[in-house]
Amino acid sequence: MCETAALIFRVSKTIFAPHSNIQKFPPPKNGGENCPGFSNLSPTKNRRQTSATSTHRDDNPRPFQSSTAPITRRAEPAESKQPHTVKMAAVQQKHDWADDDELEETSTELPPPQKITNKDGSTTIIEYRLNDNGQKVKTTRRIRYITHREVVNPRVAERKSWTKFGLSVKDGAGPAPDTTSVGENIIFKPSFNWRQDAKDESKDPNAQAMKDKLKDKKVKCRICNGEHFTARCPYKDTMAPIGEAGAAADVAASAADEAAAASQGAAGAGKKGSYVPPALRGAGGAAAAGERMGGKYGERDDLATLRVTNVSEMAEEQELRDMFERFGRVTRVFLAKDRDTGLAKGFAFISFADRSDAVKACAKMDGFGFRHLILRVEFAKKAA
Amino acid sequence: MRPILLSGHERALTQIKYNRDGDLLFSVSKDQQICVWFAHNGERLGTYHGHQGAIWTIDVDPTSTILASGSADNTIRLWEIKTGRLLKTWDFPTAVKRVEFSEDGSKLLGVTEKRMGHLGTIVVLDIKLDVDAEQSDEKAMTIVCEDSKATVAGWSYLSKYIIAGHEDGSVSQFDGKNGDLLYNIPIHELNQPITDLQWSHDRTYFITASKDKTSKLITAKDLEVLKTYPADTPLNSATITRKKDFVILGGGQAAMDVTTTSARQGKFEARFYHKIFESEIGRVRGHFGPLNTVAADPTGKSYASGGEDGYVRIHHFDKGYFDFMYEVERERQNKLNQQQQQTISA
Repeated sequence: MCETAALIFRVSKTIFAPHSNIQKFPPPKNGGENCPGFSNLSPTKNRRQTSATSTHRDDNPRPFQSSTAPITRRAEPAESKQPHTVKMAAVQQKHDWADDDELEETSTELPPPQKITNKDGSTTIIEYRLNDNGQKVKTTRRIRYITHREVVNPRVAERKSWTKFGLSVKDGAGPAPDTTSVGENIIFKPSFNWRQDAKDESKDPNAQAMKDKLKDKKVKCRICNGEHFTARCPYKDTMAPIGEAGAAADVAASAADEAAAASQGAAGAGKKGSYVPPALRGAGGAAAAGERMGGKYGERDDLATLRVTNVSEMAEEQELRDMFERFGRVTRVFLAKDRDTGLAKGFAFISFADRSDAVKACAKMDGFGFRHLILRVEFAKKAA
Repeated sequence: MRPILLSGHERALTQIKYNRDGDLLFSVSKDQQICVWFAHNGERLGTYHGHQGAIWTIDVDPTSTILASGSADNTIRLWEIKTGRLLKTWDFPTAVKRVEFSEDGSKLLGVTEKRMGHLGTIVVLDIKLDVDAEQSDEKAMTIVCEDSKATVAGWSYLSKYIIAGHEDGSVSQFDGKNGDLLYNIPIHELNQPITDLQWSHDRTYFITASKDKTSKLITAKDLEVLKTYPADTPLNSATITRKKDFVILGGGQAAMDVTTTSARQGKFEARFYHKIFESEIGRVRGHFGPLNTVAADPTGKSYASGGEDGYVRIHHFDKGYFDFMYEVERERQNKLNQQQQQTISA
């Protein structure tokens, strides 16, 4: 048997910038080295607790649960609706560059720490200290000790009192922030139909059936007998489909064509050969789980996309990427090319990760000479 | 659940292990140090220094007094857990890839690597579970693996058998007393090495993980495959949870293959399967690299995973985890409850 205590912290913090009366309230920070979950494990608190209970420090199995609790930056009444939550004590202070010019020698006098016992049994501790920037930091903590008993294996309890050794020998009680931190909350709910939820592609019966169907079929062009769909044939415009010579192959090829079209479209929808717009292709089919082009970019893309015109026919996507990469991270380069000849059509779209980079690039690259032509760069208009 | 991140290592984790009470977690990595952590809040208790090479393996005796570690500096070392003091060093011709204490802690086995003309061996050392006792230099037993080297090994119940997993995907059973080979059964796909072997709490069956993307539950007595858990990625580790009938698998693309695979993510997730129904019930993400090792808390309250990214993550389960039951399990539970009430009223 041993006793443990849960604490309540209410923290108010005021930074006094040297030679100014401005009180700065730092923005609340979540995670990082100021992770609030450590408040109940901060060295002073822990020591206090051990001395009070003299058995072991903390047996709360989920010590970090409380780190989602909001940061309170004003002194508040200590009555708490949730007596077991632990409010944070972000003791460390973020360095603010705005304070740099005010860095001067300050008096190191600090007011003595105060300890007030409140009527409701909680304790208020006000402490002052200097942070790394020489600023005075006032930390107000409201603490209430709630003792709850928990049965712990005596061997485990004994081990909790062991002194630290090795690289941890200088660490105080409680987790050291340089080795232990708290990750983002993970929602893990076991579910027996987990696989169905995740839409596993290999288990999709439609896709599997289509794959089986196409396994021993070969794609054959009706125009040139090449290994591509007739619609993709480079000689589509210049040659007529092979007549008598290809007639025998025709039947098999067209069947393959149709099957292929169906696999591209709604697989197994039953409407063979009917046109499926690209946006709907893959619905329920093999590509359902895959990414769709443009879907990743969406609206955001239009804001940081440049249209580049008067591009040389010889231009390559990589060249454009290299040119525009100088201004920031380029997420996408699209250079329109003629399908038959492979030459550039003379315009391109460049998407930046950041709009400000796009603005810079637009200003700099408009009128830039590239391969004997003068580029025209403007923001892309929203697609109709 | 909010995982606790332990960043005590600078290189990839190789093994993590809970002690029997589940309050301490030991971790070893390729950066030559051993860390011990309090499992409930992630506080580091200490580190053990002395190894001169990557540490491949670690084990803790059942009373949590002595720690054994095996390293690429060709040694097995014993440590006093409480203080970090080095107690004993055994030298071997090659690296030590796995150590494990027997159920009572009186014996320690070590698996040595096949290299430089030396065959892979399994050595057994007698251990005195006392930090002040003089440990014997002599090896109690040496088993030479002539066909395929052993990658992992462990002691069955009552130290009756030594079970070894091999590089060629087979599992062997040796007599625990004299080291005779009793069985060698191809369990996993040929030439897909077995990467991990962890025991159930009573050591009557164990789980293996293999690069052939499956994990299997096998009995210790006759090496019968009870269950198979298929995954879609090479597995590095597998463990059996207490309290709930689950198994946890860890794996992911090998670090060297990550850049060459097209997968949007490298599948660096811990996978939970139901131990009996063999179906996957969920995944936990978080690591940036493949999971090299997973370990389940013997009290069933948490599990930890160590990754190629150098982090150990301890996860304390939420209520939803403990409440989860299959329909048949729930029915059975209800029936049992009813019976109990009837006996009480009668």
